[in-house]
Amino acid sequence: MYQTSDIRKGLKIEMDGYPYVVVEFLFVKPGKGTAFTRTKLKNMMTGAVLDRTIRTGENLEPADITEYKMQYLYADADGHIFMNLEDYDQVTITNKVLDGSEKFLVEQMEVQVLYYKSEPVIVELPNFVELQITYCEPGVRGNTAQGATKPATLSTGAVVQVPLFVEEETWVKVDTRTGEYVERVRR
Amino acid sequence: MALPDRATVLRTRARALSAIRHWFETNGYLEVLTPTIVPSPAMEANLYAFKTANGFLRTSPEFALKKALAEGLGRIYELGPCYRAKESGPWHQSEFTMLEWYRAGASIWDLMDEVESLFEQVATALQVQPIQRWNRVSVRSLFLRHLSIDLAHASTEDLSEQDPSWNDAFFRRWVDDIEPTLTKPTFVHGWPASQAALASIREDDTWPYAERFEVFVGGIELGNAFQELTHSGEQLHRCRSENLIRTGRGEPAHPIDPQFIEAVGRMPRAAGIAVGFDRLVAALCNWPGIA
Repeated sequence: MYQTSDIRKGLKIEMDGYPYVVVEFLFVKPGKGTAFTRTKLKNMMTGAVLDRTIRTGENLEPADITEYKMQYLYADADGHIFMNLEDYDQVTITNKVLDGSEKFLVEQMEVQVLYYKSEPVIVELPNFVELQITYCEPGVRGNTAQGATKPATLSTGAVVQVPLFVEEETWVKVDTRTGEYVERVRR
Repeated sequence: MALPDRATVLRTRARALSAIRHWFETNGYLEVLTPTIVPSPAMEANLYAFKTANGFLRTSPEFALKKALAEGLGRIYELGPCYRAKESGPWHQSEFTMLEWYRAGASIWDLMDEVESLFEQVATALQVQPIQRWNRVSVRSLFLRHLSIDLAHASTEDLSEQDPSWNDAFFRRWVDDIEPTLTKPTFVHGWPASQAALASIREDDTWPYAERFEVFVGGIELGNAFQELTHSGEQLHRCRSENLIRTGRGEPAHPIDPQFIEAVGRMPRAAGIAVGFDRLVAALCNWPGIA
C-alpha cells in the first residue's frame, strides 16, 4: 500500500478498477484541518484525466503494472508484432494501444511496454526518431516567411510539418511524443 | 510567474520586515522575542512538531505570547522562525517565518481592520498593488452559497461519503469546493465549533461557532485569528481532547504546559492572529510559492 507521502509524479495506483498514473500533485492543508493531497490522475487505459483529493491517512493501492523492454519486428493485419527482449516471446499490440505512435515505429526499434495485469496498455517509444522524407513539395524560392511550414510524408507513413527549406529524401529528427519536426540530420 | 532569484527574494523580504516593524511601532505594539525551543509545541492534533533533545521546536509562539499577555503586556508581536513537520509543498515549508500579534481588549473584527491597514503598508513598501475590496464572509454562508449545504444541520455523509469524521468530510469539501472560490481577498469567519482550536465559542440559534477567522489572498490562506479563549479549565480540556486524537492515531501525546494553562485564566479579553510572513510577501508579489 502507498500512503499520501509516497505520492510523486509518475506513481501508478489502482482505483475503481483502473490503473492511474499521477500527473500532478499539490500538498494542501487547511489551517485547522487535516492535510490533503490534490492530484490529477491519468487513467492509463482510457487516457482520461481526473481530479482526486486524497486525505492524509487514506491508503492507495499500487497498480499491477509491469514494464517490459521489447523490440519492434513488423506489422500484420492484426496489429504490430513486438518481441519481448526478456523471454523472446512475440506479442501483437493493436493500434488502439499504440495510440498514434505506430506512425513512428521502425524495425528493430526498442520500446517500453507497460502491462496492466496481463494486457499491454501503453507503449513508450524513444523520445526522438530519425526518419527519411519520402514525399514533400519542393521549397518555394523567395518565400522567407518566418516559421512557415509544409507537410512532409515520412518513410513510415507519418505526416509531419517541416520548414519550407527541407527537401524530399532528407533525414529528419522527429519528437515521437508530440509528432513534431525537430531538425535535419546527416545520414 | 516564477519565483525571482534568491537575492531579490531576500531584499523583498527585508523591505517587508522593515515595513511591518514600522507599522507595529506606530500602532503602539511591543516587539517580543520568545524561545523557539519549548516544552509543549502545539495543541491542535493536525500540527506535527520536531522533537529536540530538551523539548520541541515551536510550531508557533502562541503559548509564550499568551504568557506575556497574562503578565500585562497588552499589545505585543513577534516575528520569527517556526517549524512544522510533515508539511511540504510550494506553500508549506518545515521552517518558515511567523508574524503573530495580540491585542488586549480587541475583537476579531478589530483585527480584520488591523490586517487591512498592515497589509496596505507592506504593499506600499514593496511597491506592489495594494489589496482592495476585502470581503468578510462566514463559513456557513460559503457552504450555503456554493454547495447548498447548511452546516448547522449537515451530517458527515451529507458532506462526503469517504471520510471517517465530520471534520475530515468538512475539510474535503473545503479543499475541493470552497477554498478554490476564494480568489478575492477575504476574511472567512464563524468556523464550526469543533474547529475552534484556541478560540472562544458562540452560539447563534442552533449553530455553535468559533470566534475565529482566516484571511485569504489570491486563494492562499495567509493567517488565522482567534477571539482568545480565556478559561483555564476549558483550555486544559481542549489540550486533552486533541491529545486523545493523537493517541488514537498511535502517535505520542504532546506534553501539556501547566504554566500556559494557568496563564490562559489570567489573560484579559484579547484577540490574536498568526500570519505566515513568507506567504504574505509571496501573495502580495504574485509569486507562485514560498520555497
